[in-house]
Amino acid sequence: MSKSVHLTKEDVLHIAQLANLPLSEESIEKYQKDLTETLHYVENLDELDISKTEASSHTTDLQNVFFEDGTKETRKFTQEQATQNAKNIKNGQFVVKRLM
Amino acid sequence: MDLFGKTITELQALIKEKKVAASEVWEYFVKRSKRHNPKLNAYVSLLEKPSNPIVKGIIPKMELWGIPLAVKDNYCTKGVRTTASSKVLDDFISPYESTVTSKLKLSGYELLGKTNMDAWAHGASTETSDYGLTKNPWDLGRYPGGSSGGSAAAVAAYIAPGAIGSDTGGSIRHPSAWCGIIGLKPTYGRVSRYGVIAMGSSFDCPGPMTQSVEDNAMLLQIMAGKDPYDATSSPVAVPDYRSKMKTKRKLKIGIAREYLKGVEPDIQTAFENMVDVIKKMGHSVVDVSLMSPEYSISVYTIAQRAEVSSNLGRYDGIRYANNRAYFGQEAKRRIMLGTYTLSHGYYDAFYKKAQKVRTLIKNNFKKTFEDVDLIIGPNTPVTALKVGEFEKYPFFGELMDQLNESASVAGIPAMSIPIELDSKNLPIGMQIMGNYFDESSIFNFAYQIEQETNFFDVIKKGREKYK
Repeated sequence: MSKSVHLTKEDVLHIAQLANLPLSEESIEKYQKDLTETLHYVENLDELDISKTEASSHTTDLQNVFFEDGTKETRKFTQEQATQNAKNIKNGQFVVKRLM
Repeated sequence: MDLFGKTITELQALIKEKKVAASEVWEYFVKRSKRHNPKLNAYVSLLEKPSNPIVKGIIPKMELWGIPLAVKDNYCTKGVRTTASSKVLDDFISPYESTVTSKLKLSGYELLGKTNMDAWAHGASTETSDYGLTKNPWDLGRYPGGSSGGSAAAVAAYIAPGAIGSDTGGSIRHPSAWCGIIGLKPTYGRVSRYGVIAMGSSFDCPGPMTQSVEDNAMLLQIMAGKDPYDATSSPVAVPDYRSKMKTKRKLKIGIAREYLKGVEPDIQTAFENMVDVIKKMGHSVVDVSLMSPEYSISVYTIAQRAEVSSNLGRYDGIRYANNRAYFGQEAKRRIMLGTYTLSHGYYDAFYKKAQKVRTLIKNNFKKTFEDVDLIIGPNTPVTALKVGEFEKYPFFGELMDQLNESASVAGIPAMSIPIELDSKNLPIGMQIMGNYFDESSIFNFAYQIEQETNFFDVIKKGREKYK
């Protein structure tokens, strides 16, 4: 991480593609500027010595949480419930784009 | 009977003693909401009918029987539209109930409405809501703060006797300070996140927003506890908050001068006055040294965006909701930053580094709490800003939440309480941070301050305009 981080227009388009986000042509420059600015802001972390520090993935030191196998009948969705919010349903199933 | 300004605890007693019927309480708040919501825009959806059948003369032994509450629109409520204030979820009817609202339901509460928020809880103003801005009840030309701005405004204007919010980087505390009410972000894992539309999963904390400390403790009591459906919820036993709250403890309070930097003079003065009050009450006050909040902002910015990019990845527009073209600018900005910092070659430089500094921040708090019971400081650097002013502040959300994000990064509990008004007649909030799972000390301290000062009548003055 150094001050040299400067996102190009191509970087923004690549990130948007990875995140599957459609961007309008005129917004690209704005994102380029905003994202670069944010990346510069977080450079203050370089001031700290973390050479001997372990990473924290969470905060309350929980370990090995298990879930009982199976599920309760009351938690199961019917097919109708599971599809009730979908925009495109055929024969009770989700319609997706053709993959092959 | 005039119900105006009654706390939840007072309403409970009135219902129990049959001085007022549950149906009257419901009608009272629906009427008030309908009257004042058009100018406040606190709700995305207002419910027409109570969900519990109200039978005349019968009062079930349920703690929240007949108590209507406003719930932030990122809680899944079965059969009720749940949008997180984003058009992506414009017509989403949740097929299941969040754990928090399930627990409230089991206690007999009534869902009054779903409150407005920054879309996906991204922001500190409600400006990013796809359903319009919520107005600050103190001054309709100002922001209520956010992201739980609708919940805060509803309580401040007394169109709801209490509300539920969620806090990822200050989203309960910040609007509570700007609207002059009491808001608690509990310890991470104290309250289940199941069914709360995920934002930053290692930060998200559901919490209560109320007019009194006792109401706050009572609601947390109902909401808290281990949930099999949220693996990060904690098995640590939930104490009886209200009984622990009422024994007057003499506490050792720490002040971190790092948290006074860049804070408006009016807020500094109010805070220093409050410190004098606290000393007079017999608590000891000492200076402590904490890491600069600026590091927390950076850790928060990296880790939260990374979690956002992952959490919002589920909106494919196939199984439910609209497609990804419906995301607003702020959500897109956050998703893209997270996608970048998690991508190949950048993970170590950003995400991993942030997680290491997160360890430093946690350890810094743990060490400090070996010496003091609580840490206090101002809750926000400025009081409520005028609508439009956010453009003056690049990085607005993080800047407004700069004093809140450390507690979020560390996962410790923190509360905002009102302390006086500034020269513009706007409420000022003080933040009380506690050790892991020690909400009890926060309640104890806040309750003592409430007994001593009644929060300088700030909460009362806020709702007076809406009588």
